[in-house]
Amino acid sequence: MKLANPMMTASGTCGYALEYEPYMDMAGLGAFVTKSITRLPRPGNEAYRIVETRGGMLNAIGLANIGLDAFLEEKMPELRKLRDRGPRIIVNVAGYSVEDYTQTAGRISHEPDVDAIELNVSCPNVKDGLTFGTDPCLLKELVGQVRRAMPPDRALIVKLSPNVGDITATARAAVEGGADVLSMINTYTAMAVDIFKRVPRLANGTGGLSGPAVRPLAVYLVSRVHRQVCRAAGVPIIGMGGIQCWQDAAEFLLAGATGLAVGTALFVDPATPNHVLDGLDQYLVDQKAQSVRQIIGALQLPGDGHHGQPAT
Amino acid sequence: MVNQSKVGGLKRGLFQASVIGNERICTDHYRLTLAVAAGFPPTLPGQFIQLGCSPTDHRRAMGPGGLDGRDIQWLPGEAPPLAAPGLLAPAAMLKRPFSLAGHVIQDDGRAELEIIHRVVGVGTAWLARLSAGDAVDLIGPLGNAFGMPEGRSIPLLVGGGVGIPPMYYLASWLSRRGYRGVGFIGAVSRDLIAGRLIEPGPAIPPGGPELGHSAAIGEFADHGFGSVVTTDDGSLGMRGRITDGLETWIASATRSDIESAAVFCCGSTPMMRSVAAVCARYGLPCQVCLEQAMACGMGTCQSCIVRLEPDCVARTQGQPARKPHGQNEQGRDWRYFLACTDGPVFDSACVLW
Repeated sequence: MKLANPMMTASGTCGYALEYEPYMDMAGLGAFVTKSITRLPRPGNEAYRIVETRGGMLNAIGLANIGLDAFLEEKMPELRKLRDRGPRIIVNVAGYSVEDYTQTAGRISHEPDVDAIELNVSCPNVKDGLTFGTDPCLLKELVGQVRRAMPPDRALIVKLSPNVGDITATARAAVEGGADVLSMINTYTAMAVDIFKRVPRLANGTGGLSGPAVRPLAVYLVSRVHRQVCRAAGVPIIGMGGIQCWQDAAEFLLAGATGLAVGTALFVDPATPNHVLDGLDQYLVDQKAQSVRQIIGALQLPGDGHHGQPAT
Repeated sequence: MVNQSKVGGLKRGLFQASVIGNERICTDHYRLTLAVAAGFPPTLPGQFIQLGCSPTDHRRAMGPGGLDGRDIQWLPGEAPPLAAPGLLAPAAMLKRPFSLAGHVIQDDGRAELEIIHRVVGVGTAWLARLSAGDAVDLIGPLGNAFGMPEGRSIPLLVGGGVGIPPMYYLASWLSRRGYRGVGFIGAVSRDLIAGRLIEPGPAIPPGGPELGHSAAIGEFADHGFGSVVTTDDGSLGMRGRITDGLETWIASATRSDIESAAVFCCGSTPMMRSVAAVCARYGLPCQVCLEQAMACGMGTCQSCIVRLEPDCVARTQGQPARKPHGQNEQGRDWRYFLACTDGPVFDSACVLW
């Protein structure tokens, strides 16, 4: 899968297709990533579903979506039109069992205008939603089965959860299962409390933390997975977590991300990916870089040799 | 009501605005007037904007014009400036939704938008400190709008607390179309009435029952609308709930007046539920402007859910019916709708309160 530029939307913050058309240059995206689609429609959680916290927000939407059939019928035509204008189309898929995932991802990936499937194996806001994303054995099995259900020319992206002890274990499992690309990170499971009612502020109890508060955590995890798993395996990373401006995006590139997704910042200004791309272009000029490839993974850590190779 | 698709089509967007005025109008309400450059689309009452509630340079990375980073002096080898606004104090990241309280299009095409906000948190506290010339950014216009139901001629505007502002815009819009009606305003006490108190007010149409008090609201009187004010503590107007004011009008109105009336309502959920119940009892059509916590206002975050009967929404908004998500205890179908893009205005008969 080749993209015109690294900028993408992060699943769950950009709707199904053309919702942001009035507010941004959608044709200027490298890829558009849909919200999570499940085999059957889901109403989602009760209100409240979001709460803002300092430097971020918690959400517990509960994978509210129209389901596979309605998605293919109502949203694919819009995505097809969008693809004609440039962006590659990536459909995010969530499920509850291996069969569930393979059916949904299998059907969607056979659509002519879908370039890649992104597996949501790490939604923190549904019961058992984290299981696949936290157990390396289950994850490898799931990724393998989904990979086999997809046409070979369509990319499989696995979105990693940060809610694990060792993210390199799940990253390795996903790559061994056949993931072509890793995207990271999904949200951090978190809680905000109504101190007067003494209850969580979200109806779901917990929610996923996103926004600038998580960016340093995400950059660290991208750097680890890049060095310990993806660089050797030749698997690209889509970096995301709190990107608001080109400086944030540049951190992810240096840490080892090839693609970049903007999530929560879209709620504040949907044109953020356009602006980040403009800023990165100037950054490359300022850095005298011929191509973004000279920036990707160019982070020098303490103990690195002269060419960015880890000391160990 | 008027569907979003019929309100300015897709002509929405992110706009830079500058503050014209920010006047404190009661204990904790402010009237904020904003100038937006030419190109801001036409709006209708009931529609809202998402307003940035922190310095635009704080979110510089997200605003047009400042995105290339060249205006941030951050040289290689230096640490980022620790006095960057984001590191100084907590600030609202997400924009906040506000119903329009007014919209005037100047001769040169510039838009003058008015909102009335109440200080409830870090975002609105920042808004309260704005003064003329300050810069803000906003997304809009968003949502659908109120509309006069066919065959009705007496608008009854019922606004409680933070639900009052859209009623002012509605009064001005209706008066330009030749309607005269009544504005009902309710608040806990006099100092929480977000409006200009005058006396005496215009007569309460039609021909007007005397409601036995002298309080009137300038924002309604300006447009020829009478006012009925209720306060919980009786410190202004009638003592009681806003529904007491509405029922008093109904009790003194003729049958044909009632058959000509239509209710438009915005306020807290319990208040709207009570108003909807009164309207159902007297057969009055009632449009309510619903509110729910939202992050984006553009239909993507899926946060601002409200429970409504899908067949009823389809019938009253002229849309294809959508499948229910479930049934309540009374066996009524419900579905989550988004207040931001499906609403915020719905027929009260469709709402599962």
